[in-house]
Amino acid sequence: MAEKAILFDATRCTACRGCQVACKQWNENDEEIPTVENGVQSKNWGSYENPPDLSPSTWLKIEFREVERMGGVDWLFTRRACMHCTDAACVRVCPNGSLYHHELGFVAYNKDTCTGCGYCIDACPFDVPRSDRNLLTGSAKMDKCTLCTTPGLDRIAEGWQPMCVKTCPPKALQFDNRSTLVSEGMQRVNTLKSKGYTNAYLYGANELGGLHVMYVLDDSAEAYGLPADPQVSGSTIAWQNVIQPLGWALGGLTLLGLGLNYLVARQTKVEQEQPVEKED
Amino acid sequence: MAQEVERYRKPTRILHWVHSGAFVVLFLTGLIIFIPGLSILAQDSITRIIHRIAVVLFVAAPLIYIPMNLKSTMRGIKEAFTWGSGDLEWLKAAPRYYFLNDEEAMPPQGHMNTGQKLWWLMVLVLGAVFFITGLIMWAFKEAAPGAVLEWMVLLHDVAFIAAGCMFFVHIYLSVIHPLMKGSLNSMTKGKVSAEYAKSHHGKWYREIS
Repeated sequence: MAEKAILFDATRCTACRGCQVACKQWNENDEEIPTVENGVQSKNWGSYENPPDLSPSTWLKIEFREVERMGGVDWLFTRRACMHCTDAACVRVCPNGSLYHHELGFVAYNKDTCTGCGYCIDACPFDVPRSDRNLLTGSAKMDKCTLCTTPGLDRIAEGWQPMCVKTCPPKALQFDNRSTLVSEGMQRVNTLKSKGYTNAYLYGANELGGLHVMYVLDDSAEAYGLPADPQVSGSTIAWQNVIQPLGWALGGLTLLGLGLNYLVARQTKVEQEQPVEKED
Repeated sequence: MAQEVERYRKPTRILHWVHSGAFVVLFLTGLIIFIPGLSILAQDSITRIIHRIAVVLFVAAPLIYIPMNLKSTMRGIKEAFTWGSGDLEWLKAAPRYYFLNDEEAMPPQGHMNTGQKLWWLMVLVLGAVFFITGLIMWAFKEAAPGAVLEWMVLLHDVAFIAAGCMFFVHIYLSVIHPLMKGSLNSMTKGKVSAEYAKSHHGKWYREIS
């Protein structure tokens, strides 16, 4: 099946945060509204951003950045959520395959089998997965954007758009075949360049084997708070591709060696127990 | 009845079995997330909770033992780090001994032979690696940066592989090897026959007799 993707055009986003609300509503990720009556003190931390960070029940969040450029101040909006990488570090490190690639290319997960190890949280180059961890017992469950493929709430299987795309008033979000969106994004970037945005860039076309959430940016990735060159970390690769196979090899060789020793030593014992053999 | 000599005192034996029992639980609960086919058993963090209960025992046992048995602890640690030319000879002669029961080239050994020293040294060194990396993963899972935690998992894994392989050898030599008798006895009843002590730990036997 053709891979699907989301294209986020940052230059069209008005930061209405309708996507955040729709995401929570569809995925049943209600959060207690911070009021004194709810026992949660709300706090002004000097930003229009709300809530302050992604969380197990906030899978999508719009970030606000003020930058000085072209002789003025611009307000840049970044969509923070799972980027659905092709070369996904979280899928590499998940010990039991709870995180996996959906047939359309997204990174989906089975929450029932999640062990709560948190390796995905440590490995993600975009710092996206979240969990509520009991620090004493270590029990946890990971959560992140499923691109609306959560079983029972699967919009994609129904042929519908993801909820955030569906609700976006300025059409800053599109959902389509990935290849279609790559060419559309390229076109849009070229238009921006011709308008003087020389740093304009289609983020995600090639990063990490191609992301399934791509960004049309009118400035560098850093200006939008995105890693310029996201990579699967060296420790992830050393651990998964070197240490673990080495562990299997060493463990196997040890058992093989001991088995061999057993056969030879048993034979030795049988021979030496025969009375005719030489003394001591 | 053959003459017997005491090899491990009762507190040492209790420490050994509590510690090894905890180790087996830690090893198995770790092993299942190493084997993709079994790691489904780790779902809902159940094995992590078992792992944590076991590690409390694993760390508490020596911490209780050490102040009560300070002298023998210091002696044991000294022994683990005292290596000489006899140890090299032992390692060279060991294959002929363990395969062919040829004891001729084996140099006389102290209270611990070179193999036991190697195991004991590993217990001390890898124990420290397990403890430090594990503690960071337990207590600083939210506070430490992801990159640090990833290296902790990697080091924990390296220690796991080394300890696992040596654990197989340890079990094999003490329980399964067709030619080894008496060493299991030394950890269950605390005693070995004088004859065993003489042939396996000649230097030590001379010291105590």
